[in-house]
Amino acid sequence: MNQNAKLLSLLISSLLFVDAASCEEIDFAHDIVPILRAHCAKCHSGDKKQGGLSLDTRELLLAGGESGEVVVPGASSQSLLFERITTKDDDLRMPPEGEPLPGDEIERIKRWIDAGIAWEPGFALTKGSYEPPLAHRRPELPSAIDGREHPIDRIIDQYFTDFAVPRPAPVSDGVFLRRVSVDVNGLLPDPETYRDFMADANPDKRTAFVRDLLANDVSYAEHWLTFWNDLLRNDYTGTGFITGGRQQITGWLYDALLHNKPYDQFTRELIAPPPEASGFISGIRWRGNVSASQMQEIQFAQNVSQAFLGINMKCASCHDSFIDRWTLEETYGLAAIYATTPLTLHRCDKPLDQTATPAWMFPELGQVDSKAEQPERLKQLAALLTHADNGRFARTIVNRIWNRLMGRGIVHPVDAMHTEPWSADLLDYLAIHLRDNGFDLKKTIELICTSQIYQAQTPPVDQPQEAGRYVFRGPLARRMTAEQFVDAVWQITDAAPTKYDAQVLRFKQQPNHSSQPLTAQWIWSHATGSGPTPAGETITLRHKFELPSLPAQAVGVITCDNSYRMYLNGKHIASDDNWESVEAMSLLPKLRTGENTLLIEAKNGGSAPNPAGLIFEATLRFADDTTQSIASDGSWQWTAKALNARGVWKEEPDDWQPAEPVANPGIWSGRVGAELASRLNAAANSPLLMVRASLVKSDGLMRALGRPNRDQIVTSRPSELTTLEAIDLANGQTLSDAIQHGAQQRLSSESHSGEELMSWLCRYALSREPTSDELRLATEFLGTEPKHQAVEDLLWSVLMLPEFQLIR
Amino acid sequence: MNEQLARRQFLKQLAAASTAAMMASEPRLLRAAEDAAITHPEPTADACILIWMAGGMAAPDNFDPKHYEPFQVGLPVEKVVSTFPAIDTAVDNIKIAEGLEGIASVMDRATLVRSHVLPDLGHILHSRHQYHWHTGYVPPQTVACPHIGAWIARVLGPRNPVMPAFINIGQRLEGVGENEEIKAFTTAGFFGSEFGPMNLPYPEEAAAAVRPPKGMEPGRFENRYKFFRKLVDKSPQRDYLSDYHQESMLRSLENAYRLLGSKERAAFDISLEPKESYEKYDTGRFGQGCLLARRLVENGARFVEVTTEYIPFIHWDTHKDGHTTVDRLHKEIDRPITQLILDLEARGLLDRTLVVVASEFSRDMILEGVPGSNAQDQATFKVDTLQEMTHYGLHRHFTGGSSVLMFGGGTKKGFLYGETAPERPCLAIKDPVNVDDLHATMFTAMGISPQTAFDVERRPFYATEDGKGRSVSALFG
Repeated sequence: MNQNAKLLSLLISSLLFVDAASCEEIDFAHDIVPILRAHCAKCHSGDKKQGGLSLDTRELLLAGGESGEVVVPGASSQSLLFERITTKDDDLRMPPEGEPLPGDEIERIKRWIDAGIAWEPGFALTKGSYEPPLAHRRPELPSAIDGREHPIDRIIDQYFTDFAVPRPAPVSDGVFLRRVSVDVNGLLPDPETYRDFMADANPDKRTAFVRDLLANDVSYAEHWLTFWNDLLRNDYTGTGFITGGRQQITGWLYDALLHNKPYDQFTRELIAPPPEASGFISGIRWRGNVSASQMQEIQFAQNVSQAFLGINMKCASCHDSFIDRWTLEETYGLAAIYATTPLTLHRCDKPLDQTATPAWMFPELGQVDSKAEQPERLKQLAALLTHADNGRFARTIVNRIWNRLMGRGIVHPVDAMHTEPWSADLLDYLAIHLRDNGFDLKKTIELICTSQIYQAQTPPVDQPQEAGRYVFRGPLARRMTAEQFVDAVWQITDAAPTKYDAQVLRFKQQPNHSSQPLTAQWIWSHATGSGPTPAGETITLRHKFELPSLPAQAVGVITCDNSYRMYLNGKHIASDDNWESVEAMSLLPKLRTGENTLLIEAKNGGSAPNPAGLIFEATLRFADDTTQSIASDGSWQWTAKALNARGVWKEEPDDWQPAEPVANPGIWSGRVGAELASRLNAAANSPLLMVRASLVKSDGLMRALGRPNRDQIVTSRPSELTTLEAIDLANGQTLSDAIQHGAQQRLSSESHSGEELMSWLCRYALSREPTSDELRLATEFLGTEPKHQAVEDLLWSVLMLPEFQLIR
Repeated sequence: MNEQLARRQFLKQLAAASTAAMMASEPRLLRAAEDAAITHPEPTADACILIWMAGGMAAPDNFDPKHYEPFQVGLPVEKVVSTFPAIDTAVDNIKIAEGLEGIASVMDRATLVRSHVLPDLGHILHSRHQYHWHTGYVPPQTVACPHIGAWIARVLGPRNPVMPAFINIGQRLEGVGENEEIKAFTTAGFFGSEFGPMNLPYPEEAAAAVRPPKGMEPGRFENRYKFFRKLVDKSPQRDYLSDYHQESMLRSLENAYRLLGSKERAAFDISLEPKESYEKYDTGRFGQGCLLARRLVENGARFVEVTTEYIPFIHWDTHKDGHTTVDRLHKEIDRPITQLILDLEARGLLDRTLVVVASEFSRDMILEGVPGSNAQDQATFKVDTLQEMTHYGLHRHFTGGSSVLMFGGGTKKGFLYGETAPERPCLAIKDPVNVDDLHATMFTAMGISPQTAFDVERRPFYATEDGKGRSVSALFG
C-alpha cells in the first residue's frame, strides 16, 4: 500500500468513526470485559470469591486473594493471574473447567496488564444485586400514628419511626397555598385567592383547594405540558424541524392533558399512535449518516424505555450495559418492534452477523409476535407496556410525580428505576393506587398533595447529602422551572404576550352548548357545487383580511366535502378528509398585524360526480372585547392552481375568480350545522386566559433559566441559579420590560402607597403578609409618592428573593 | 488577586455548588480508580481564543494555496484549484493566499496545520459539522454535549472570578438560518448553564451586556441591589440563610452585581479603545470581535470564541461567487487577526494565550465531501467551464484536508505541520489530524487531560470522544 492509499484508508476508517488506534490499544470495555465475564465471573465476582479473589472492581483485583497479589500493573510476566491462565499444568490452570483461554484472549489479557490494567470508571463486574420487582404489590398500611390517617402518612410515619427521623413541622396556610398552586397548576395564587383561602375556616379547606386546582383543566394542562414536553421531547421549534425530520405532538398532548386521558391509554396512543401523536416514536430523522446508536429505531428503543420504564438503554445501544442488566440484544429487540426493515445488530457501530428479532424485555408479561406487521407489533407492545401487572410502568410515573412534588424521587435518579427505593412500600402503594384509580394521574397528585408530609416544612439543607444510603427527612425546596418563574412574573406584572406558539385551543369543549348559527356560507368555485361536481375536482380558495392589531383570541371552525388543507400566512393550520367531522382550531399563533392570507386547498372526493362545498368561520376577539368575524362567502376567491405539499405555490396564480355560495347548502348543514355553530361559540366564549410560558417558544430568558433544547428526553431541570443567569436577571431586557410594565400597572391602580404596594406584592408573590420591617423598608425606599423607577426596583427586588424563586 | 488565589477562591465556591450538584445527580468528575486519578498535563496556555471561520473556509484560497488560474471565460473548472495566487510569508517554506498579507507577516509566530481532516457525514450540513467540531461528538447524541469552551470552563473555571469563563462573540442565535441547530452546540450541555457561553452577538453592544439595564444610572443600580440585600436580611425566612440552595442563589446574584459594577466591565466596552488601535481592528463586526476578545483576555477571560458568523450561504459558505466573496473576507479577517497577534505579543500575553483559527471543513471547486463520497452535491451552479465571475470559486464542501492556524500558548513559531496533495483531490497526505486529536491538542495546551471524563447518567463522557484524542506533541516546543 503506498502512503497515499494508506492515508486514504485511514481517513475512510475515521469517517466510519472507527478509531484506527484501537487495533493497537486495548479497550477494556470491548476487549477485556467479555473475557472476564465469560471465564472468571462465575467464581470471582459478587459473593463468589474463590481463593479470596474478586474481580468485581479494579481495587479488589489489585488487592489480590489468599495467595497475595495476582496482578502487577505493567508487568504481565510478574502477574500470577497471567501465569495461571497460561500454565500447562491442568491442576493450576484457570479457568479450572473447560478449555484454556484461546490465544488471542490470552494475548489481550497480557497487553491489558502490560498497559497498566485500565478499567472503565465506575465499572463493576457484578451488577447491583437489587433487581426491582415487576409485579404490583399491595403493601399493608401501618397503623396511623397521632390520628394521621392518610395512607402516605401512615407509611411515612412508620418510616420515620424506623429510621428515627423527627417528623417535620406542618407549614402555614400561606406556604401551603403557594406551594400547591405552583406545583399543581404552575401559577401563583392571586391576592384574592390568598385572602379567601386565609379567611376560610373550613378545616378541610386544603383538600378542597387541591381538588379545585385539579379541576381547573386548562391551567393544569398548561402547567404539566412543560413536564411532558420535556419527557416526550416535544417542542415548537428546535433541531430537526428545519429538514422536516421531526414532528410535534403538541395538539394531541395538550388535548390529552386537558381531558386527563388515563395514563395507560395515553401511553398506548404514544406507542401505537394516531398520526397526530406519531412524533414521539419517530424521534428525529437526521440528514446524512448517523451512528447506529442514533438510528430512528434505536431512538425509539431508548425513548420508550426511558420515558415509560425508567430504563436507560443508551449504554445498551452500543454494547451490553456495564451498569445494569440490559443487553445490546434487548435494545435491538425493542427497536425491531418499530423497525419496518430487518435490523442488523451493531456493536459500537460495527455490524454483527445478527438480525434483531422484535421482542421486549419482560417476556413474563407476554411477548410481541415477531412475525406480525409493524402496526400490530406496536399495538402489542403498547398493551404489554401498560399491562395491569406491569408494576414498573406505574412505579416509573408515580416516582416522577413524587420527584416533582417533593424534590427527590423515591427511586433516584428517576431514570434509574432499577435502583432500590428508599421506601418500597410507598412506591408500591402509589403505583397500585394509580392502577386502582384507572391510571388517573390527577388522583396521584391529589393523593400526594393532601398528605401531611407534602404539607410539611422543607428543612434547610446545609450539609451535602451523604453518598450512600439516602434517608428521607421531608420535602425539599425546589427552584421554579423557567416556565413557573416566567408565568409568575407575567402574573405580577401583567406583561404576558398576547400571542403563543402552541397550536392549541385553550378550552374544553362543553357538549350541548347553546349557540347562534354561523354567518358563513358553504362555497365552491361554482354555485352548482352542491350538485354533481366532478370527483377529484380541486380548487384553492383564498381570503385576505387586515388586522389593525392582534386579537386576544382567534378561533375557527371548518369542514369540507371532501377534504381540505388550510394554511394561514403560509403556515399549516388544519387538514382533514371527512366532512362529517368538524375541526376547531386556534388561529392566534399564525396571525399577524396587517395583511393576513388564508389559503385552503379543497378537493372533491369520490369516484363519480358528487356534491362539493366548504365552510369556514372564525371569531377574533380583541382585548377591548370587540370581535371580528371571518367567514366563507362570495367575497372569497378561487383558482384551479395547486399548492405543493408544503402549502407553497408551485407557480403563483394570476387567475383569481370570485367563489360562489352553493345553491343547496342544506345537504350538509342539516348534518353538521349545529356542531359547527356550537364549537365556534364555545371556543369564542371561552374565557380570555393569560398566555402561559409553556405555550410559547423558548426565549433568551427562559433558556437562561434552564428551559432545555428538547432534542433529547429531559427529566431534570437545573437546580442552581448560575452567575450568567443572574446577569440576565439583573440586566436582561425581557425581564426589565416586564417589570417596567408591571410598575406602570401598579401606579395606575388606586392603592399605591409604599405600604400598599409592599403588602400587595408580598401577598401575590410570596403568599404572606409583609413584616413590619419589610413595610418600613418599602416605605423608606419608595417615599410617600412612589416614583415609577422606585416601583420597578421594588418589583425586581422581590422577584429576586430566594423566597420567590424557590418553592418551599 | 493573583491567579492562583483567584482560582482557589473559585474552587471553594465551586465546592459548595458541586455539593448541590451531587444532590441533583448532576455530572460528576470521574476518576479511573483511586490510585489512577486523571493527571492533567502542565498547561502551556492560560487562555484560549478560537477564531471561527464559520461556513467552511476553503484551504486552497487561504492557508494552503495550490495551482492558481485567474478567471477566464471558457476555462475548464478542473484546471482551477486555487482562485488566489500564493504569496510569501515571514517563513521560508510557507506560502499563503494573496489577500492575507498581514497574517503572512506574522507567520513566524504561527504553527500552521494543513492536514486537518473531518468526517464525511453523508449529507454535508454545516450545522452538523459545526456541532461536531465544537463538541467533539457527531450529532445526534443521546445527551446534550458540551461545547469545548464549556469543557474548559467546567474543568478550569474562570481566570478572573468576575469574568465569565466562556464568552462567545459574533454569532446571533435568533433570526438567522439554522439557528436551532447552532443553539444545539452553543451550550454547556449536560454541565448546566453555569458553564455555558455568555453570548455577545454584537461586539459594539457587548458593553450593554454587563451594564445595568438600559436607562438605569449606576447610583440607582447600586441602590436597587442594596435594597434587595436589606430585604434578604429582614426576610422572615432567615432560617434558610444556611441553606445551600438559597446561599448559592444569593452568591450568583452577588457575582452578577459585582461584574456589573466591576472595573473589568470596561473590557467589554470597545468604544473605550484608543481610536488608532480601534481602527486597526475595525473591519466590521468580526474585526470588532477580535478587539473585544483581546480586551477580554487581557482582563482575565478564559475561553473566547470569535466568529465571522454562520449564516447559510453568507460569508464563508460560498455556494457561488466564491472568489469575490473570499476576496472580501480576506479584507475583513486579515487586519484584525494580525493585530490581535501583535497586540497579545506586545502585552506579553501571546506565550500564554492559545489562538486557534479553524473552520468546519474546506472547500473545493468540484468535489463534495471526499472522493467516493455519496454526499449530495450542494453547489448552486454547476458548470464545466467558467462563463461568468459567479462561477469562479470553491463552491463544494471538501472534508479531506483543511487548515488550522495556531499562535501562542506554547505552540511552535514559524512551524508547518502536515500536508495536502498538490493536485486535486487535495487530501491530507501527511500527518492527518482529526477533530479528536486537535481538541486533545487544545485541551493539553490548557492543562486538561483529553481523557478527562464526567459521569453522565452513570456513563463516562470524555473530553475527547471515548478519551481517544491524542495531543499532537510535534506542535509544541
